Amino acid sequence: MFASKRLSKELSKLHDHLPPGIELIQADDFAEWLMDIRVIDSNPLYQDEVYRLKFSFSQSYPIEAPEVVFVKDATHPIPWHPHVYSNGIICLDLLDRQGWSPVHNVESICVSLQSMLTSNTKKERPPGDEQFVKYNTQRPRDINFVFHDNQV
Amino acid sequence: MPPGNEYAAEQLKAKGNAHFKNGEYESAEGFYSQAIQKNSKNPLLFTNRANARLKLERWQDVIDDCIKSIELMQENMKAFFYLAQAQLAINHPNEALSSALMAYELCSRSSQQTSNAATISALVLKCKKAKWEIRERDRIRRRHALLADLEIKLEEEYKKDVFDIDERIQNGEIGQVEAQEEKAERKGEWERKVKDLRTAFALSDPENMKIREVPDYLVDGITFEIMHDPVVTKNGRSYERATIIEHLKRSATDPLTREPLTIAELRPNIALKEACTEFMEANSGWIYDW
Repeated sequence: MFASKRLSKELSKLHDHLPPGIELIQADDFAEWLMDIRVIDSNPLYQDEVYRLKFSFSQSYPIEAPEVVFVKDATHPIPWHPHVYSNGIICLDLLDRQGWSPVHNVESICVSLQSMLTSNTKKERPPGDEQFVKYNTQRPRDINFVFHDNQV
Repeated sequence: MPPGNEYAAEQLKAKGNAHFKNGEYESAEGFYSQAIQKNSKNPLLFTNRANARLKLERWQDVIDDCIKSIELMQENMKAFFYLAQAQLAINHPNEALSSALMAYELCSRSSQQTSNAATISALVLKCKKAKWEIRERDRIRRRHALLADLEIKLEEEYKKDVFDIDERIQNGEIGQVEAQEEKAERKGEWERKVKDLRTAFALSDPENMKIREVPDYLVDGITFEIMHDPVVTKNGRSYERATIIEHLKRSATDPLTREPLTIAELRPNIALKEACTEFMEANSGWIYDW
């Protein structure tokens, strides 16, 4: 309903100013954007790596959360994290239907993901990663994650 | 009314609705007219026909139907909504604005605050913009006699084009759809030319170029647009009524604090509303495209 107007305003703000470690890669339309993030402190798990995020917006954004996943290519790995599956799907309450709030935006999501990585010390995948990656056919937003652990 | 006519009217209305749904506005309009002949006391028949006529761009007929419908039923959101669109189309933005505001008020008063609110909000803004454009046009034309001359020429040219198209419809040379496409094209062309012309004159007159930014406190945190009917939540933050309601229908929580929040707990923020109106009036046109 208001997605395109709101996104065009976010875009002009992003062109104007971005927090350190966040970069806008591609925003040709109001359906899908690519952003790059890297951690800016010295966490050894993520040193010298840049991660690519794909945002997909529905017509009802920002009433509905965008779909956000890490994407993997030759220069962008999927970061190690107990809440990030090896296919790039992220389990973060902020991106879930219940946890989302329309006052969030692309920038604030990037910042949240940055800090989610920074504060992590475990080089791990979520439990059941192999099974999940093999068998999951659902889109990230339709998955009902259980947010069992607030440590990371 | 002879018995059975009410039933017959309902049947015809259903047929009209089916045709309307398929985009066959002309036949839909015909069925609604037949229904009205059977039962001229049902306001909904008039609003349905008004909607069909709106699609056919028969503006004056739309206005007649809406007025008739409002006579039969005063609290008539749809009639005011269609009326505003037709008044806007024939370039009567003052009347259009008061109709749109009436529709908005009826909508926010109704128990089922539906997604209509957002659509009507948008129409209200459009009417305000049209109203401002006329004022602005006069102001600019007073400033620059040359610009005024050129603009009047362009407008005459555009009106002549539209007139020609109408004539070709009358003579059966082109169909409705084709005509509408061509009209839209001409209109776009004309508007582009006027815009370019004004840009050129504005560049030669830099005093009139101002910084165009809306202060954050007048902007809805969800749509990022200037508010026209702000409401305040329990924690003191304000949002545009239509958008916060859209959010609360999905999740009954405050967007910022996630505390429970219901639609009934929202309160109008009258002072902020006045501040928004004042800002819009002072800063005029650009704000609508912002």
